Amino acid sequence: MTRRQHIANFGVAVALAAAVGWLCTLVLGQLDNQTDWSKAWDYREALCNGWLMTLGISFAALAGSIVFGLLFLLGQRSPLPVVRWTCRAFLEFVRDTPLLVHLLFGYFVIFAPLISRPLADAGFQDKVVIGILLLSVFQGAYLGEILRGGVESIPKTQWDSARAVGFSPVQVYRYVIFPQALRRVLPAIAGLFVSLIKDSSLLSVIGVSEYFYNTKNFISRSYAGLEGYIPLALGYLALTLPVAWLAHWLEKRFRHET
Amino acid sequence: MKLEVQGATRIYGATRALDGLTLSLPDARILVLIGPSGGGKSTLLRVLGGLETVDSGTVQVNAHHLLADPAALQAYRRKNGFLFQQFNLFPHLSARKNITLPLEKVHRHDPAKARSMADEALDRFGLLEHADKLPAQLSGGQQQRVGIARAVAFSPEILFLDEPTSALDPEMTAEVLELIQELAEAGQDIILSTHEMGFARAVADHVAFIASGRIEECGPPASVFGSPASPLCQRFLSRVMRY
Repeated sequence: MTRRQHIANFGVAVALAAAVGWLCTLVLGQLDNQTDWSKAWDYREALCNGWLMTLGISFAALAGSIVFGLLFLLGQRSPLPVVRWTCRAFLEFVRDTPLLVHLLFGYFVIFAPLISRPLADAGFQDKVVIGILLLSVFQGAYLGEILRGGVESIPKTQWDSARAVGFSPVQVYRYVIFPQALRRVLPAIAGLFVSLIKDSSLLSVIGVSEYFYNTKNFISRSYAGLEGYIPLALGYLALTLPVAWLAHWLEKRFRHET
Repeated sequence: MKLEVQGATRIYGATRALDGLTLSLPDARILVLIGPSGGGKSTLLRVLGGLETVDSGTVQVNAHHLLADPAALQAYRRKNGFLFQQFNLFPHLSARKNITLPLEKVHRHDPAKARSMADEALDRFGLLEHADKLPAQLSGGQQQRVGIARAVAFSPEILFLDEPTSALDPEMTAEVLELIQELAEAGQDIILSTHEMGFARAVADHVAFIASGRIEECGPPASVFGSPASPLCQRFLSRVMRY
């Protein structure tokens, strides 16, 4: 940096710090020292259970979205045009409508009347299972497109070489195409998984008692504010930051390799 | 090797890459395909190597009738080696792993055996010291030599080489051509397309000149280069030999 840039950099830093400080004083002054952390402590059990539910949903939907993502990828590369076009149309529909609508429509109109009773009889919480399924389909649609982009970005000679050494179509994908494609799309996949964790909060609309739902309950019952929202933000950060870090680490490792 | 191609036609969109190509060689060892770019050399190689099928006509290589049956073509490809112009190696695997992976997964050798076969092939071409490097850490010539080592590691019936030196500088070209000549002298059956006319003349026992998807001239190198009968071939040779 030049000397002038150093000065400009310092100036901007001071201005930013002042702006943030001013905003904080304004907000905290308005709260008027009514923050009472004992309220959050009283509801700790419900908040912890909600957080664990969010963790569980995220893991399950992550696995589910990988399954659906692979299915959508293969469907779009199928030699049968009818499979390709059906897949294409379904993906377009899923990606162009809000997750909120999928959850409400999918739960109340499609799945609840069909499988709520059998699921409950089998000892499952039907809302959780159906919620995970709908979230998996939604994220799987995006993952499928990301994977397709990765697979299609691999140059033709790699496909040719893989076929020439005698690999079967499955082996071509497994040993040659996927390892290369995954490296290319890793950052995009990490971003998708982060948004999957955040989107799991939408499951609250069908009454799944996950972190957001339980926090909202806590806030409305105890008239809490900051005491609810700050743990809420920190709870989600605790889930998303490790994913982001892991992705950066993997990205760096693979970059050294090639 | 024996080649029998009758009226082979392959159409991509509006271009006829092969246009009723006929080639009959009862006994060839090193067949070199020459001719202008876009004339059909690559397509013919890909067809003979089992990577593509013809739209009409028949193709027979040794005892294999190449039909549009994916499983049979895959089995056929397992018997042969194929090398392209560049980017043959799998970039995420080391040179050695590039060779052992097909040996293990296609030819069903156990890992120890695959490793010893790979090291033998690398050693043969003086590449053993590069065994653990990734393709990106090798020069273009070394990459092509590893590619050839991979293709010959399991003693293929025929080695197909599609312009193996077109993407290399003169020095690397020489190192790759030397290696191919070595293989030819060791008795490997080879079908190769190239723009290196001197090399074609030195190494081939049959040369085929291909233009517009047809064989215009085919025979021993002395007659194709010395006294070509077809005017197209005469014009091509006089142009490329001028400098």
